[in-house]
Amino acid sequence: MTKEDASEKARKDLARRLGIEESQVTEQSVAETDFPDMALGAAAGGEMSGQMITRGWKIHLKADGHTYEYRADKGQLRLYQFKGKNYKI
Amino acid sequence: MNRNNFLPHVALALVLILVAAFAGQLRRWQKEWKHRVQIIPAEDKRRSPINNVEAAPYENRGFGAPEVLVKFRQGVNEEAIERITLGLHDRVEDEIESVPGLDAIDDLDDKTAEAVAAQYRGLPEVEYAEAVFEISADDFDSAGSPITPRDPRFSEQWALFNDGSRGGTTGADISATHAWTVTTGSDKVVVAVLDSGVDYTHSDLASNMWIRPNSVDPYEDRDLGTIQDLHGYNAVENSADPMDDNGHGTHCAGIIGAEGGNDIGIAGVNWKVQIMPLKFMNAGGYGTTKDAIEAINYVIDRKKAGVNVRVISASWGSTQKSRALEDVIRKAYEADILFVAASGNASTNNDRSPHYPSSYNVPNVVSVAALDRNDQLASFSNYGLKSVAIAAPGVDILSTWLGDEYEEKSGTSMATPVVAGVAALISANEPKITVDQLRSRLLAAVDPLNSLKGKVVSGGRINAAKALGTK
Repeated sequence: MTKEDASEKARKDLARRLGIEESQVTEQSVAETDFPDMALGAAAGGEMSGQMITRGWKIHLKADGHTYEYRADKGQLRLYQFKGKNYKI
Repeated sequence: MNRNNFLPHVALALVLILVAAFAGQLRRWQKEWKHRVQIIPAEDKRRSPINNVEAAPYENRGFGAPEVLVKFRQGVNEEAIERITLGLHDRVEDEIESVPGLDAIDDLDDKTAEAVAAQYRGLPEVEYAEAVFEISADDFDSAGSPITPRDPRFSEQWALFNDGSRGGTTGADISATHAWTVTTGSDKVVVAVLDSGVDYTHSDLASNMWIRPNSVDPYEDRDLGTIQDLHGYNAVENSADPMDDNGHGTHCAGIIGAEGGNDIGIAGVNWKVQIMPLKFMNAGGYGTTKDAIEAINYVIDRKKAGVNVRVISASWGSTQKSRALEDVIRKAYEADILFVAASGNASTNNDRSPHYPSSYNVPNVVSVAALDRNDQLASFSNYGLKSVAIAAPGVDILSTWLGDEYEEKSGTSMATPVVAGVAALISANEPKITVDQLRSRLLAAVDPLNSLKGKVVSGGRINAAKALGTK
């Protein structure tokens, strides 16, 4: 998965979750970063992950006046702290 | 006193003193003579490699230095000590005068020092007994000179030998080259790498992978039936194939036991060991507590079946607590298996915000923080004066990767197998060591660091040479 793929997939996911058109979701920023573990610092319930520093992207999207954070690397996409929970997409 | 009696009294006193002195010397001669002509029992002669020198003075038998130090309890006299040592086919080589009751004892047959010490520990007359460690500066100058492996990329393994290159600090390492003068590991020691699996075909790992011996039956799971576990276990797919599809587990395995001295790639902390791969994390590098529990359950089962698993290396975790995971780790403790776990990479204090499984209060858990090549706590590493036991190198660590490759990775994931590897070295050197002793030894075998004051329980970086009693 490329950075662009991850961003597009994140926009689609957020639109679906919020029940809005994809065009209403705007990309605020996409930044390369080091995550603390292999679940990108966003482990879902009951999940354990390798404690290895993992390179990926932080994707900030804006919709309905709120900012949402997705985290991705070349193999996975996660939604960080959406209504208090992490989700593996 | 009558003046006329004075001279006879003085003469009598002098005679008594001379007699006493002569008697003392006579006793010493007698003891020495006894040692020199000591007869080895016939049954021992058959199995002893020293048959042909039985009548020679002990100085000429080629016996080494005393093997055990035994402290006899107060009130156990010299005669009793002599009777005990002769009964065990040993001899007192020297009395340590400064500590009453402490004797250096030489074994006259081919038992290991630890076995001799164990014999004495079982006696009511003995307060303690311990094998003699060979600690001397001469060790490093002659036969014990630091050992550098032939592996071509060893110079990049700063964790094992830090020469100060790439901005590092000379000596900020685990003293592996000194440790290897004692042992480079043993294929009798099994370390379970509980991870994303291991590429067991990697050319630097293949010869150190565990293969289930014929004497051990295939794994039987009540729900899954028989699993022909040739190399380990895959809890993700409930299969016998723990091949790694991520790389993380292969990296950790190489740190513990990439074959040393084989002219290929790198050297592990152990040049020779048996790595049992277990896969519970998927290609993304994450997995479920349920699969982790299944894999630990497998390890305990194999141990009970006779496989000498001494250590589980667990380079993973999360902040979510699982009572079931804690329970199965406790079962591993009961099976005498050490559980070495990553402290986590959130730069946080585990005393306040626990990270599991490393924060479980179970006696076999050793939580590991990460250091950089300058002996500084890694910027990402979790710490905890009460909950993180020890630190080890964990930044820019070169190790094996998928596709017969090598990569540098960072994390407490990388520090964890360093400590697991040292635990395996200790187990190779002292096969009978218990899990409690193993954990205590690790925590005592550190180089104290200012950067770790108030950060980890032991206050230091693991030192493999100290763990083996060489430095």
